[in-house]
Amino acid sequence: MNIYQPQLATVTDIIEETVDTRTFRLEFQDAAYREAFAFHAGQFGEYSVFGAGESTFCIASPPTRSGYLECCVRAVGKLTAALSDINVGDTMGFRGPYGNWFPVDDWKDRNVIFIAGGIGLAPVRCVIWNVLDRRDEFRDVTIVYGARSIGDLVYKRELLEWQGRDDVRLVKTVDPGGQVGKWDAEVGGQGDQVVGWGGKAGEWDGEVGYVPTIVEQAELSADNAVVVICGPPIVIKLTLPILEKLGFADEAIFTTLENRMKCGVGKCGRCNIGPVYVCKDGPVFTAAQLNALPQEF
Amino acid sequence: MTDVLFLSREQLAALVADLVAADTIVIGPARAGGPAIPGLEDRQQGVAKGAFGTLEYREVRSADELELGPGMPRLSLKQFFLPQNEKLFSWQQKGIAVEVQAVPTAFAPRVILGGKPCDVAALGIVDKVMNWDYQDELWNARRAATTIFALSCGVEDQHCFCTSVGVAPDSTKSADGLFTAVDGGFLVETTTDLGREFVDKHRARFAEPPGGAVEAGTAFRAAALAKVRENFSFNTERVHDWVENHFEDPFWATLGVRCNGCGACTMVCPTCHCFDIVDEEEGVGCGSRRRCWDTCQASKFTAHASGHNPRGDQIARYRQRVNHKFAIYPTKFGEVLCTGCGRCVRTCQMGQNIGEILVAIDEYAQKDTQ
Amino acid sequence: MKELRDLARQLLTDGTVEVVVGWQSSARGARPIFVDKPEEADLLIFDTRCVHNLATYLNPRRKQVTDLGKLALVVKGCDAKAVAGLLREAQLTRDRVVLIGVRCGGVVEEFDAPVPPEISAETIMPRCYGCDNREPHLVDHLLGDALPEPPAPLLSIEKRIEALEAATPEQRWEYWTAQFAKCVRCYACRQVCPLCVCERCVADKSQPQWIETASHTRGNLSWNVTRALHLAGRCVGCGECERFCPAGIPLTLLNRKLQQVVEERYEYRVSDDPEVAAPIGEFRLDDQQEFIK
Repeated sequence: MNIYQPQLATVTDIIEETVDTRTFRLEFQDAAYREAFAFHAGQFGEYSVFGAGESTFCIASPPTRSGYLECCVRAVGKLTAALSDINVGDTMGFRGPYGNWFPVDDWKDRNVIFIAGGIGLAPVRCVIWNVLDRRDEFRDVTIVYGARSIGDLVYKRELLEWQGRDDVRLVKTVDPGGQVGKWDAEVGGQGDQVVGWGGKAGEWDGEVGYVPTIVEQAELSADNAVVVICGPPIVIKLTLPILEKLGFADEAIFTTLENRMKCGVGKCGRCNIGPVYVCKDGPVFTAAQLNALPQEF
Repeated sequence: MTDVLFLSREQLAALVADLVAADTIVIGPARAGGPAIPGLEDRQQGVAKGAFGTLEYREVRSADELELGPGMPRLSLKQFFLPQNEKLFSWQQKGIAVEVQAVPTAFAPRVILGGKPCDVAALGIVDKVMNWDYQDELWNARRAATTIFALSCGVEDQHCFCTSVGVAPDSTKSADGLFTAVDGGFLVETTTDLGREFVDKHRARFAEPPGGAVEAGTAFRAAALAKVRENFSFNTERVHDWVENHFEDPFWATLGVRCNGCGACTMVCPTCHCFDIVDEEEGVGCGSRRRCWDTCQASKFTAHASGHNPRGDQIARYRQRVNHKFAIYPTKFGEVLCTGCGRCVRTCQMGQNIGEILVAIDEYAQKDTQ
Repeated sequence: MKELRDLARQLLTDGTVEVVVGWQSSARGARPIFVDKPEEADLLIFDTRCVHNLATYLNPRRKQVTDLGKLALVVKGCDAKAVAGLLREAQLTRDRVVLIGVRCGGVVEEFDAPVPPEISAETIMPRCYGCDNREPHLVDHLLGDALPEPPAPLLSIEKRIEALEAATPEQRWEYWTAQFAKCVRCYACRQVCPLCVCERCVADKSQPQWIETASHTRGNLSWNVTRALHLAGRCVGCGECERFCPAGIPLTLLNRKLQQVVEERYEYRVSDDPEVAAPIGEFRLDDQQEFIK
């Protein structure tokens, strides 16, 4: 079997996160492979829909939970559109785990701050749960998450869960104008009964403002802290200067990049940013590393 | 120092016949074949004229087809190790289950007779990326199945620059042996165990070199080396450093604006290896995943599904080509991703000239340090 | 050509244009040059080596060229036809470009030529033979002396098409599949073609995937035939696609054949008058319709 041939995995759950975003849960069909499969938070895989192709998504489930893996996908192109036709029970392919990972062990006894925008929460969610599943090892955990509107928030059920924990500070926000709509979702997977959200009506009880603005207002301390940030390029571009102003060192800010990928193993030559291949030397980078790269991403 | 043997033209014909009879695939430079239509000479405009002529590397069934002399085959040897399109696996839908059929990762034995040293040296350079942490079994298996004899080159024309990038007209990098044309046949040297085994297996075909042949061969090689050194040259380390440190230089704009983004340069290049992977349905519920040659010069190469394109214009794309070959690959793998064959210069119909570019960069680099 | 250099210098000095796109001499014969400084106007040449169709630089998708500002373009007759094609299809506004026409007697396909080769039956680009636009009309300036008609090449495109038509369908199929097996899908033919300006080429569309992208013969056939059909009635016959093809595929045969069909059926020949509508953009009441049964 060559390195371009995927492992087969069954789709065991699909959750409609937003109108165009779904979370897929996959379980490997080969029992031995399923048992042995391990990865680190931040790594990605090449997910196949046979006939449509392969796409790169981060592994959105944490490495602390075994037996399955999850990815979160927005329909924008050929493969992700084909994923809209995938149902529970279908077979997909997976190659991975590829890439580097968040150095979670280095964050012990430190304050961990997560900042995410829109679907950028997916790769961050993996490391959030990785940290929460080892909660005692870390100091304060803060999550700042925002999207354009309530409808665009992903992982709503988990936002509720994080909100409910007293060892996590969650600051959630929507863009001005995005607070109109039902909050307080009751969600179930396709494997359950309810698909999608929209249970009890409730007013938005979070912030209203763009993520960079909310970050600035959130009274975050750079003292003994690391930041994990992921989101649309504009969110990252506007938030990094704010973090710098707040005193966060470049080496303490971690992000995960994406680039168009095909092989995932450093051979097809397309994902590089200068001498750095996102699939092999990334996708996790510190702000310090990004600043040293040619600005071609 | 290996023994130098002699293979006469007659014995070469017999050797090829032996190989073909034993089902070993023989590949070498040959006249372009193909069906002809009465009254329609296979007249190839453009590229076919000039240094390319109508030679190409292909399988031959007899030594008559081999053209072991001057002339550069149109495409490099790359196609035999990274085919222009290659199946990676196929699948069959069975209800909602899927069955995947692997492709073979072992290949029938092949011999390349008369590869140009620049084309042969390219293989060892690409080996590095193909084995960077993950082993590309398809590439490696083809490499393992192939015995390669390079042919001492007499230097094509003024666009060759192999000596500037660590290759030479008689280089044996990545080769198992070297043929050098002399009167009546070829001097043959072996440089690897595989090459020695090959000669041992067919020892009867090889003889002691006739008087004067070794001297003639040495003279030919020395003359070729002198000739290519008369072409332009540049220092790869200076070029590497300049390219690495001048990402935003206005020089790139002067190159990118003329370029069409056609990608012909990358297709004919022996070291360019970038590929695309696509799924193709071949029937109801079945199909295969293939990889095929791709080019960093196409805008689609780095285009995200969202519409964002990190290399959104030809200036960025052309810079990437020079950057990848002369800065990035050397940084990562210690070798320049170029063997100085000059095909890109001869192929580019808009007159982009890598030699001119590298010499200019070297000059800028030297000015920088003054 | 002194009048060309003088004109270019003038246009740059008085700010009529930001850049003049023409040809220069180089180690590879003539090649395109983008002159943005008046003193560099001296680099401009026009001779028998100037085979390139510079209209390809007017592609609105070429950001690195559109960023340069208003340009002047040196055009031969075939190049002017391509500019007219772009105007006809609203891909270009006339005020974006100053056209400097040059009278042409044909160009040659010689590489590395340090001096312009003489025109002869052996050297002439086959596509030049029979040119009907040696003095381009769609121009703001017209330079150069009138030159003699290009001679017939040793093997003209028409004769090659006749040879193909004399063959059986099986022979033609074998011929073309062998040619397309060589195609590596570099898309050089599309990139250089001045009329291939689609914002998103049909071959790049993935939902659905109209044309297979893998470079096997079937996909290659699909691509090359589709491109030829998309150019029917639009192709100006500049022959750049075939010249650029690194696989040496005789693309001009396809395009010229379709040109012949269009001429026969619609009495239309591509010209450099953008006011004359092309069959692809217009329906005339007297169009032949006998194929509708």
